[in-house]
Amino acid sequence: MTTATVTVTIHEAPDVIQPRQHGKPGGLLRYCNFVTALILGIVLAALAYWITGMFTTGEALNANFVPIGINVQITAMYVGWVVGFMIGIGAFVGPIRWFLGRDLTHADAEYLAGRGQGRMKFWKYTTDHKIVGIQYLIVSMALLGFGGLLAMLIRTELGVTWAELFNPNFYNSIIGTHGIVMIIAMIVVVSGPLGNFIVPIMVGARDMAFPRLNALSIWLLVAAIPPLASNLALGGLRDGWTVYQPLADQAPVGMIGYQITIITFGFSTAIASVNLMTTIVKMRAKGMTWSRVPIFVYGIFASSLMGLIWFPMYQYSQWFALSDRVINTSFYVPAQGGSVWLYENLFWLLGHPEVYVIVLPGVAALLELMVVFLRKPLFSYKFAVAGIFGIVGLSAVVWVHHMYMTGWAPSSNYPFMLSTEMISIPISFLVLVMLGTMWRARPWTRLPMMAVYAVVWNKVIGGITGVFLSDVPVDQYMHGSMFVVAHFHYMLMGAGLFSAMAAIAYWFPKMTGRYLDNRWGSIGFWVAFGGFQLTFLSMFAAGLQGMPRRVLQFDSLFNVSNWISTIGAYIIGIGMLIFLAAVINSWRSGEIAPANPYGAKTLEAQVPTPVPPENFAVLPVITSDPYGYGSPDPYELEDEARRAALEGGEPAKVGAS
Amino acid sequence: MSVTEPLSPTTGEPVSVVASRNRLGVWFIIISCTTGSLSLLISYSYLWSLNVNSAWAPPNNAWATLWPFWAIFVGEILAGLAMRWGWKGMEKGDRGRMLAGSLISSLLLIAAFVGQVAQIMTFPFGPSDGAYASVTFWFALSNAGWVLLSSFLAFGIFNRTLAGKITATNASHAGLVAMWLVWLAGVAFIGAICTTTMQESPNTNSPDFGNFQEP
Amino acid sequence: MTIDQRPPTAEEGPEEPTNRPTPMHLFRNWLKRRYAKRLIWLTLIISAGWIAATFLAVYFMNMSGGPASAIMSEIELTMYVLAWVCAPLMGVTLAIALYSMIGGWGRVKGDKQPDQDGPGIRNNSIATIGWAVWVSALAAFLVVWGLVELANIQAFANGSVAANQQPNSQQSITVNVTGQQWVWTFAYPDQNKVTTDVLVVPINTPIYFNVTSKDVVHSFWVVEMGVKIDANPGAITNTGFTATKLGTFNIRCAELCGLHHAYMETQVKVVTQDEYNSWVRENGGVRLS
Repeated sequence: MTTATVTVTIHEAPDVIQPRQHGKPGGLLRYCNFVTALILGIVLAALAYWITGMFTTGEALNANFVPIGINVQITAMYVGWVVGFMIGIGAFVGPIRWFLGRDLTHADAEYLAGRGQGRMKFWKYTTDHKIVGIQYLIVSMALLGFGGLLAMLIRTELGVTWAELFNPNFYNSIIGTHGIVMIIAMIVVVSGPLGNFIVPIMVGARDMAFPRLNALSIWLLVAAIPPLASNLALGGLRDGWTVYQPLADQAPVGMIGYQITIITFGFSTAIASVNLMTTIVKMRAKGMTWSRVPIFVYGIFASSLMGLIWFPMYQYSQWFALSDRVINTSFYVPAQGGSVWLYENLFWLLGHPEVYVIVLPGVAALLELMVVFLRKPLFSYKFAVAGIFGIVGLSAVVWVHHMYMTGWAPSSNYPFMLSTEMISIPISFLVLVMLGTMWRARPWTRLPMMAVYAVVWNKVIGGITGVFLSDVPVDQYMHGSMFVVAHFHYMLMGAGLFSAMAAIAYWFPKMTGRYLDNRWGSIGFWVAFGGFQLTFLSMFAAGLQGMPRRVLQFDSLFNVSNWISTIGAYIIGIGMLIFLAAVINSWRSGEIAPANPYGAKTLEAQVPTPVPPENFAVLPVITSDPYGYGSPDPYELEDEARRAALEGGEPAKVGAS
Repeated sequence: MSVTEPLSPTTGEPVSVVASRNRLGVWFIIISCTTGSLSLLISYSYLWSLNVNSAWAPPNNAWATLWPFWAIFVGEILAGLAMRWGWKGMEKGDRGRMLAGSLISSLLLIAAFVGQVAQIMTFPFGPSDGAYASVTFWFALSNAGWVLLSSFLAFGIFNRTLAGKITATNASHAGLVAMWLVWLAGVAFIGAICTTTMQESPNTNSPDFGNFQEP
Repeated sequence: MTIDQRPPTAEEGPEEPTNRPTPMHLFRNWLKRRYAKRLIWLTLIISAGWIAATFLAVYFMNMSGGPASAIMSEIELTMYVLAWVCAPLMGVTLAIALYSMIGGWGRVKGDKQPDQDGPGIRNNSIATIGWAVWVSALAAFLVVWGLVELANIQAFANGSVAANQQPNSQQSITVNVTGQQWVWTFAYPDQNKVTTDVLVVPINTPIYFNVTSKDVVHSFWVVEMGVKIDANPGAITNTGFTATKLGTFNIRCAELCGLHHAYMETQVKVVTQDEYNSWVRENGGVRLS
């Protein structure tokens, strides 16, 4: 990116009047960290459980004959956990200081940003966007590991066709937990680490717009995970990640963990989205017009926008579900006037945009990085932006394609089939941008670039099976079968996770100062990719043969495809472990990388590694977009010559090379 | 950037820059909250139109009294206006107006909260008495939550004015809270308009739960 | 060099024939490029492979004995049509990516940054506009085909097919389907409420289903008939089919409905009209036709 610099130095400005300093810089937050959060969370959880236990008798039953008392107790316990954890980490210090008028001084802000602190800053309410990015990276990798482990259990059960390894309750619980853990992990895996670490630098800002909200979003996410994980100990959430009602209302109290997690995670997502979007809109460097913004930033913006708008629907659907359990309302209890279709609508109103929330940042990251490895401008930037916002627009009006077969309004299938098939147009725009950028370029075969090819393959398979599923007649056969499972794994894992791996490999040097080991990273990546094809191509076959999803045992007709799937899944597991080992090893002792390891022109490649505290010594001014690669086109020159020759009436002298 | 404009102590930027950033952030939060409240609207109108198992209406058709919804709505509107009036005064340098406006606003919000709790206590049905009761409870509950949060904000503005943090050149927080209170009234309005306009379900022939009609 | 591109004025008379290259000529020139031919071949091979794969897909669909109804035949036809119209697009996409990956345009190995940039192509209006038109036309075709087919299968399912198009003009049969954890129950209200847990239907007779549930959401899936509808508590949904093949086919639950969801399956027996009549009599019903 061509940049000029202006001298807007800020911290040395002597005339900034400071508010009164109360105590040492940082105040109460000096004493808050992960350990105090854990202790307070557990204490409050126990306290809430005990106190509500004194007031509930445990005899009253709700509409589904589940005792209300224990529901109230468990709910109080989880709420106590979340509130206690957030108090312990120091999340409430900010609002209270605001209320009291004790605004942060510069020294306070420096302390909060983790300046001059050791590794402890990773365990605290630290506001620096680079710290938050690393925290997100660790958390999302832990979530992916947990979800992956559950996936291995699922495939083991399905591969062992001759016996039941798990009881139905446990099996149904692990499919539900696997689903929702992976969804949460995939929502944060690009927007979290890279959106927080890279985007502010990429747009030329010194930090996010709201640094303290940034810390709040990551710690809310951390607080949200234990309720979800603990459901396995509390009877499980045995209803799939969609937790359709009223089945979920029958489930054991583990379901409350799911509901509390989604509500907490909803706040986390909304806060993170607001923060990212405000940063992108308001804090771009001088001269970075909307036509000079790197495409990755557009991807993050679009993803945040969809999450911001639609996540509350999902959150409210879980509020209602929780109140059905705890105060016995009847949103989803048909006998008392509730409707299962209400739940399905509210759920899928987020449920479908969420797919794009997951996929868009990853794909945008690929667009951003492939340019660098192909040494060619991004092909048709405007087309890419149009594609991204086309997806955002259409994502709002396609949710009913998950409900074609529910019978809630058969005539609505016609318009929603139309809108669903329309969405292939903006998606294909992004494909064209990828292909046009590859066109006649010489790829530099590093791992991130090779991952682009892998993702194109996965996207094509996922996309074309999506065409089948968007068609109501075909969906009438496919809906609820393994075909659907294979399709969305191709999109969410094949396009989403593999592009996240590429993006993390690409920005790894900037985040850690070291190269991600290309050799072992690639081996892990391609082993996982191969296993992925095996697993999910044969899962398509199982679906076509008529195997429903979420079953524990099945007709022997489906045995062969399930055996192949299970072998493939283990191969994915091995590949992912190799990749993880490469990440950990490179982080500890990889080759030291220079500030701009791949010769990129975006702003984040221009700042030193490790990135200095305020990112930029002087704020940059942007004079062009970051895609100024390319030499004159030899074919163009040749065509010019030929045209000139033809028009001059002379025979063409230049042959095709 | 005017010469007299104060700079933010933490980032050194002019406070107007920070204020415009904050305003956008609040707008985004309002968008998010709007879709959240829309899901209440969807729930209400959808369950109203379906009347599943003929269980929409509360027992004995004991609908909620309507005027409290509107009273609370008006209270919130007035709270927002008071805050705005104070904020405009503060921008002209009138600290007294800011103090008065934010105090009136906070008291109105507290009153709205108390009214909301009283309404919840006196509903002629419990939360388990059918779909209408469920959604109406949720209108009231969510409004109570929002009002409580907002009264914290309004009192905060009052307290910050006392502490000298809200000044003629840096009054943006008061403006933001005024903006937020307009949205708060919006939540109350959704509840009020739903309960007023949609009462008796239009579907009088809903299938019985788990049974087929006789041919 | 400047080329006069003004339109001919009246004084100049009609335009002289020039030897400016025609689009066809430019296209032929483009085809002379080495990669152009190779890409076309790759596209053709990949598209052909995909078309072959669709036969495999439909083979998988028919492994348990389908298609057993006109709806299922329509679904399989739609599978073919959708796959084939998408084949060229899929072929082009994968061909370009594959060609780039295997180094058709050259590639740079090792960990040293390439010293040479690629051609600085920022846009190509032929490519973008052509692509947008192509994809939009494709999507439009898919929508139109889908809408027509949907209207078709809805007609099959809900009994609005004109009498002369029905396989025969016999009276239809209505079946009330109740899902509950974890069994299906079928009641024949017209046949004196015969109730059974294995669906028995006569061939070539329209069967209409009213579906509901006693507890949670189930999904009534008659696999080889290509029919599926959710069974919702507190609501009744409708579907239907006309069996065209004798035999025993599968009914499964396609919506997670609790612990024993996997075992919530039964069968549909398609029998001749006579066999059906005697089955109804054996079960204490009356054939009303």
